[in-house]
Amino acid sequence: MLSRFSTSRKVGKLSFLIAIVSITGLAFSNTQTFASSAFKSAADPYSGKLVYWFWAESDVPGSTAWMQAAIKRYEALHKNISIELVPQGSDTLQGAFETTAQSKSGPDIAMQWATLPVLTPVWRGQVASLKGLVKPSEMANWLNTSENVSGGEVWAMPLYLLGEPFVWNKTLFKKAGLDPNKGPTTWAEFLAFSAKLKAAGITPIQMGLKDGAFGAWFQATVGTQNLDSVQELKDVYTGKAKFTDPKYSSYLTQLDTLSKKGYFNKDIASIDINQAWQNFAQGKGAMTWTTDGNVAAWVKAGLEKQIGVQMTPKLGTGKLANFHTATQSISAFITSWSKNKQAAATFLSWLHQPENLASWYEATGAFPADKRFSAANIKNPLMKKLFALNSQPGQLWAENYAPPQVDSNGLRPFGAAVVTGTSTPAKAAADIQNSIKQWQTQQPADFKSYKLWASGK
Amino acid sequence: MIESQGSAVTVRGKNRLRNGRYREIWPAVFLLPAIFMLGVVFVFPLISVVKFSFYAGRVGDLAPVGFANYYNLLHDSVFLIAIKNNLKLLITAPVSVALALTISLILYEGVKGWRTYRIIVFIPYIIPGTVVGLSFSYLLQQSGILNTVLNRLHLSKLALDWLGNGALSIYSVGGLLIWSQLGFSVIALTAALLSLPQEVNEAAIVDGASKWQKQRYVIIPQLKNTIQFLFVLQIINALAWVFPYVFTLTRGGPGNSSMVMDLFIWQYGFSLGSVGYASAAAVYLLGLSGIFIYLYSRIRRNQEEL
Repeated sequence: MLSRFSTSRKVGKLSFLIAIVSITGLAFSNTQTFASSAFKSAADPYSGKLVYWFWAESDVPGSTAWMQAAIKRYEALHKNISIELVPQGSDTLQGAFETTAQSKSGPDIAMQWATLPVLTPVWRGQVASLKGLVKPSEMANWLNTSENVSGGEVWAMPLYLLGEPFVWNKTLFKKAGLDPNKGPTTWAEFLAFSAKLKAAGITPIQMGLKDGAFGAWFQATVGTQNLDSVQELKDVYTGKAKFTDPKYSSYLTQLDTLSKKGYFNKDIASIDINQAWQNFAQGKGAMTWTTDGNVAAWVKAGLEKQIGVQMTPKLGTGKLANFHTATQSISAFITSWSKNKQAAATFLSWLHQPENLASWYEATGAFPADKRFSAANIKNPLMKKLFALNSQPGQLWAENYAPPQVDSNGLRPFGAAVVTGTSTPAKAAADIQNSIKQWQTQQPADFKSYKLWASGK
Repeated sequence: MIESQGSAVTVRGKNRLRNGRYREIWPAVFLLPAIFMLGVVFVFPLISVVKFSFYAGRVGDLAPVGFANYYNLLHDSVFLIAIKNNLKLLITAPVSVALALTISLILYEGVKGWRTYRIIVFIPYIIPGTVVGLSFSYLLQQSGILNTVLNRLHLSKLALDWLGNGALSIYSVGGLLIWSQLGFSVIALTAALLSLPQEVNEAAIVDGASKWQKQRYVIIPQLKNTIQFLFVLQIINALAWVFPYVFTLTRGGPGNSSMVMDLFIWQYGFSLGSVGYASAAAVYLLGLSGIFIYLYSRIRRNQEEL
């Protein structure tokens, strides 16, 4: 009996062992799981089903509704095409795409923020080249395409221009005894204005940190002011320079100063950036950094006379201190696994037709990223001022040059840590440098591609 | 004759042996699909995680790095914060079980409407973690509902920055974890209480035991197994099931101060595609959970031996 039981246990163990070995074999045979596979594009540019992962609402309130209406118009024009719009969230935009890309399924058209968030999937083979899908004459009209160039090719379509203007509340300025029509132009002036506002019982700067974005935004507006070129910015990610160099990290000291002097709203750490903008619009703070789209929404809400806009006060002495922080923001690209690449490209090109550009601006107030959009369409003086800032040559959004991993694990949280007092500027700079090092070792292929791209190849 | 008898005995013996072996093998054959399925859903992912932990890069483009991920994690300040926070959250286990026990005993004493109260206590458990997190993020903001109420009650000193203060945020998450998991513990303990033999209680009362003595020396010892089970469950929750609360409440901030291991793993594995680094972190988490499960099983075994 005992021997039978023992044999049965042996057989049971053997079966279990066989199952484990089979599964282990399966697991190890799968290291290079996703080999590239070729898909045939549908020849007909006006037929097929497209899935479009869309993000823009946070930058440009009203953009999702406009895109839904545009799709309806397009489907009415071309009966054999159907487009499913899937709005995406800011927090999960990159993660959701990375997850779906691993299974080579999901959207035909996806959106990521310009430069590194677009180029990283490009280098990973997840994006289809626009070459051959969009006519060069069409692409020549698109603005800021240089932000998404790698290997001499444009990989994504810009939809709108987005600046990060510094804005102030004129009523609160007046209340504090400041000139409501003049924003601070230098850092010393900015600190003096903040002190005066605080003394008058007004929150000088309204901002939110919960989503961490401000940590990187501050780097984009203030942190680049000691640099002379974009190449210098790239150097810190290729390992030629260190983030701990004050040239790169002194902005953390400015952030620390603002925090220690109590110039931010008290709930900065428990609200996100969108909530902060809502609070600003309600007069709960005198100054903030925002987007053109939000200014446009405030103009529509009748707040135009209360708001002043300009570039970020000048702090640094580098050449980049002269440029406004602006970008094409989110860019649309066609996924490498899409079975309807030509249809997707045709739709994206259609979005840039002059009537759509005008309709987009009318609905959202955000400037279309296209030469064919005439400045004459802009009637509002505040928006004219923003358009002039965005049209300056040399503008850049430094955050876009950071690899997504460094952005989300370095610039954002450690900037926030300085504001909340959980880190010091020196420690935060060292931590950001570590996050760069981590990215270089964890993503060796991306690092190699970045270096190649940074060298201009 | 003898020979043929002998050979017949041998054949019969062989058949019996064969039948016996069949009988032994057959159950194992029937078990194979179940073992295989278990392997597919449990062992395969586990082996994959361990395998990926030795690579850098992303799925489809992996490069072997040996133990570098494990080494780097031990020098990663954010990962160390995440471990510390998970360990801090362990405090929720005794607090949650003690609270649940107190509530269950009160309900067991036959409070009027105890069934309704039990349902009310259970409701937070069935609300999805993301909904709970989002609601509490508005409630606990510096200028949120809780602080507004405290300020109106002239208790401004208690109106803290529950989510924005780096030293407090992880405890806010812990509080939320207790609140949302309490219902399950109350239900489990109430069910255990209702199944206790009444004779023992009655004997204790006859022997002159006070209410407190009855609970302390009669009822609670009989709930030992349930309490231990809930304690281990809460420990596992604190280690590996806090993602929805942290993500919706603080997103690991401010400045990583409320980072926990499962959010860390999600960030690297899903959001950033650093699957090797995330897998190594997952192996550490598995090891940590394993330690607690091992300790629990040792305690159980010692008790059974006693």
